[in-house]
Amino acid sequence: MHEVALAHAVWRQVAAEMRKHADRRLTKVHVVVGALSGAAPESLEFALGLLVAESEWPHAAVNVRQEPVVLVCRGCGNEYPMHEMRLTCPACGGADVEPVRGTELRLESLEVE
Amino acid sequence: MRERIRLEKTIVTENDRLAAALAERFDRAGLLVVNLMSSPGAGKTALLEETARRLAGRLRMAAVDGDLATDRDARRIARAGMPCRQINTGGGCHLNGRQVAQAIEAYDLADLDILFIENVGNLVCPASFDLGEHRRVVVASTPEGDDKPVKYPVAFRRADCIVLNKIDLVDATGFAPAAFRGFLRDLRPGAPLLELSCKTGEGIDAWLDWLRAEREAVGRRTVPSPQ
Repeated sequence: MHEVALAHAVWRQVAAEMRKHADRRLTKVHVVVGALSGAAPESLEFALGLLVAESEWPHAAVNVRQEPVVLVCRGCGNEYPMHEMRLTCPACGGADVEPVRGTELRLESLEVE
Repeated sequence: MRERIRLEKTIVTENDRLAAALAERFDRAGLLVVNLMSSPGAGKTALLEETARRLAGRLRMAAVDGDLATDRDARRIARAGMPCRQINTGGGCHLNGRQVAQAIEAYDLADLDILFIENVGNLVCPASFDLGEHRRVVVASTPEGDDKPVKYPVAFRRADCIVLNKIDLVDATGFAPAAFRGFLRDLRPGAPLLELSCKTGEGIDAWLDWLRAEREAVGRRTVPSPQ
């Protein structure tokens, strides 16, 4: 997809956080990519790596982890992982379901020293 | 001292910000905004042509149309009776909030009932770029095959309505409607599926009914701003 643009958005947030910790050095960035977010983890890791290399912490590592999709059924309350692009509830067959994880892009944490 | 700072912050992109601003503008104007997505050639433009002809004089409609090059689609839609602004993306594979904001400058939104955004033909990228729309419509067509929903889940999962066009070609293409419906039920349970043909006119009325109902729903929700 458009991982370079996404990497810039991630990096803006990383830089904003690091300004709050001006006395620390960034050593690792952890990002989570939902399996239904539309973003490809490898490409995002690559693009983020380029931005890190140009930054004031060129040796910081980047970890982009893909998060599986988890759904909740509003009918019966069942929480379950998505299996093979099937969203309907495996317990009751319900169609009124909502993803609770796996659709977004998240800056999970920063490692600093 | 080594430390891990937990953030768990959702990434907000520049386009997310632009889309939020557009959504607010659309709500203030009180019109329905529909973002149409599909593979190239599924029939987005044909659907808008039919919509223009059949709802002429009943609903005030306009469109913006994204393509890499030419204004062929905008001219087709305009010839059918709907004002349409062409957006040429150069190499861009989707429309973004900035392009839409610029294109709609041509319109007085308060004078419209429905604005259609015909996205660039592509089932991948447009799905990840919100444009402030109220409804997302994915147009599929029978020659593309019946397994499109599972192969392009990000687009189909967020569709508010799925149009299956070229239903007159089911026999010629070997398209299995039951398989398509099954994939869709698994991936986007509850979303309306409208099977139609822009060529023969079969099923078009259901699409127009859907549009009118959504126009009503959005109109009721919108609170007119105080004078």
